[in-house]
Amino acid sequence: MTTTTDKIAAIKAFIAQRNPEAADVTLDDDLIEMRAVDSLAFVEFLFLLEELSGESIDPEEIDVEDFRTLQRISDRFFAEKVSA
Amino acid sequence: MTATVQPVSLELARLESMAESDYYNPYTMFEWPDTLELDKPWMSEDLVTLAGTEFWDELPREQQLALTRHEAVNFFSLNVHGIRELLSEVVLRIHTKTYADASEFLHHFIGEENEHMWFFSAFCLRYGKKIYPAAPNLTPATDDGLSKAASELVIFARILMFEEIVDYFNAHMATDTSLPKIAQDINRIHHQDESRHVAFGRTIFTQLLQQVKEKNPEDIPRLVTYLDAYLDYSIRSLYNPAVYRDAGLNSPLELRRQLLEHPARAEAHDRILKRTRKFLARNGLIAQEAVA
Repeated sequence: MTTTTDKIAAIKAFIAQRNPEAADVTLDDDLIEMRAVDSLAFVEFLFLLEELSGESIDPEEIDVEDFRTLQRISDRFFAEKVSA
Repeated sequence: MTATVQPVSLELARLESMAESDYYNPYTMFEWPDTLELDKPWMSEDLVTLAGTEFWDELPREQQLALTRHEAVNFFSLNVHGIRELLSEVVLRIHTKTYADASEFLHHFIGEENEHMWFFSAFCLRYGKKIYPAAPNLTPATDDGLSKAASELVIFARILMFEEIVDYFNAHMATDTSLPKIAQDINRIHHQDESRHVAFGRTIFTQLLQQVKEKNPEDIPRLVTYLDAYLDYSIRSLYNPAVYRDAGLNSPLELRRQLLEHPARAEAHDRILKRTRKFLARNGLIAQEAVA
């Protein structure tokens, strides 16, 4: 089973591949302001998150704030799902 | 917005005259059947994103046909969203000082693009019952450090590249008699209008590029990087996991990744981009070795 740490590592690898200057991004860095993920890469970024979270993301329903930091991404997409 | 961009000087009389003589009423010229044939491909089989790969060959015929249906709706949906974006940019510029010379032609352009968006969306909604959503836009266009002229060039370059890529598909499907007639007709009419739009787009691109080369040559390397990334982005947008899901294909995201890495698809991308890359190379905006 892939842990949240592994998932964050996968996201960092994605960012580093496209933007080496942002390779050392921290959990609280603003990914959008620092252009770690730009507009042209965002679609690929969403597909990566879909794969890592197993959750389908509706492009018309996204809130950019959910993608601003690694911490927010983790909270939104990788939080433990508690079954009733 | 365009204070430091020199007014463009364009000879558009011929294109304006052609736009007038080619004028048609899109709302009455097409015959829309209630349903389309399910035993025909809706998109040319050699243009679907699985073409040339074992993934296509392994599909049962029914699923191949289903895929062509969803890919056609996706292709026309991409057109709808691309036009929506380019129209908003052009409307912001018509009758401004920089583009005063182009305003007469831009009236034709805006009218025609609106009509294209109508018939593309009509196809999607009648026969696909939906328009696939647009790719999300991460940020509004903020100051990216480029000069005004380079920023303007990026806007018109995106429009031009979008038009040239879709025209590759339109030109092919306009004469593909295996398709339902309405699909051929839409592609043919779009191809006819786009030839004028591409001619206009190349003219204005060349003028703005000249301004950048003269006043802000330091922007050229960034333009080269951006335009290359934009071509890649445009190609990737053709590969929609939602299409694969709708066609009943397994593991859509994994399939998409495998297709994007497939040698046969790389060759297909080279064919799609050949004309645009040659144009960029002629203008010094792409490495010559990148031109297939």
